[in-house]
Amino acid sequence: MPDFPSQPFVEVARRLEMRGEHSWLAILSSRGDPAAACDDLSTELHSFLQLPTRVVPLRGSSFQILREQLHHPEDDAVILFAGADLEAGEWSSLDTMRSALERTGPVVLWIAPDAVARLAQFAPNIRSFIGTSIFLAGAEPGIMTDKERESRLEELRQHYQLSDQEVARRAEAKELPPEPHFVEWLVLLGRGDLV
Amino acid sequence: MTRDRALKRAAEMDQRTHLEIAARSLPSPYKMFSQIRAYLLRRCEDMKTRNNSIQLLKFTQSKGVASIVLGPGFDKGLTPQHFHFDSGARLSFALTLRESDGGSQLVGFRYHYQLPDQAPASASPGFLRFDLNEAAHADALSEPRCHLHPGLEDVRLPISLHDPFEVLDRIFFVLERSV
Repeated sequence: MPDFPSQPFVEVARRLEMRGEHSWLAILSSRGDPAAACDDLSTELHSFLQLPTRVVPLRGSSFQILREQLHHPEDDAVILFAGADLEAGEWSSLDTMRSALERTGPVVLWIAPDAVARLAQFAPNIRSFIGTSIFLAGAEPGIMTDKERESRLEELRQHYQLSDQEVARRAEAKELPPEPHFVEWLVLLGRGDLV
Repeated sequence: MTRDRALKRAAEMDQRTHLEIAARSLPSPYKMFSQIRAYLLRRCEDMKTRNNSIQLLKFTQSKGVASIVLGPGFDKGLTPQHFHFDSGARLSFALTLRESDGGSQLVGFRYHYQLPDQAPASASPGFLRFDLNEAAHADALSEPRCHLHPGLEDVRLPISLHDPFEVLDRIFFVLERSV
């Protein structure tokens, strides 16, 4: 694994915003479901930059198609998705069309961690667009941990003097009070089906 | 007899709230989480008080229902998990959403805006809380589904349905600027 800093997608979005127009950045990801991970990044870019965001696949895309996609429109946010890796020839072709890749909106190049070497070797100009802005896809910092979940559950148990079992039983019997705390309680228990 | 009529009117109001919730589609729960975080980060940029919104806001989900929470479930005093305002006020909230057709629908929320502990007497009430209950209460007059606590735990005044951002708008741009 290359020695690049890890950043959650929300921080990636903040960096792009600070840089302004014509920004390039690369994300290295080896997550199991690249489409889902790409979707998460797309969500953060859209939320933070408040720009429409598209995922554009690099593999199998011709020069004309890619140029068309990047410039119509050219001010939205684009994730260039390279998948596992591109062939040397594909990287070289991409490099030769570097001028056509320049656009107003931000570009995130999504590649596998072990593709950096080939990027540098066969697409040095694209590599220079990115500069030092290469980051490993970091963990989402806002996902509640088991410890945090347990802490909230304990807060609810203490306040209402009820056990988790009793809350689930009352939910099944449609006897829970309608206060918002109780639906949160069920979600924390993993019983969203009872909401 | 008069209270009976008042109860009937309150129940009809709850029914309108129910229909409005069903008609209002929101982004998916995770997109809502992401957008609320971006909203809080933006507000932080306008404030002197620093909050680490990326760490404060939490997301969890179960079987098609998700909760987005910030701060403690009950306000029992200042904590590092609260969102802190320049005025010294603090905010905690939790909202629950149900996935629906690629988007989501509101299930319930609770936004607790606590005025500064050392606020002058003129700043009374001590807190304002915006609640959306998961379902209608049997006594819709005393506990309307969407209501505001004006600093009194047992007083619930009906309010129009607000989406999660509209509640935050009122807190950031109305309440906080009045303290």
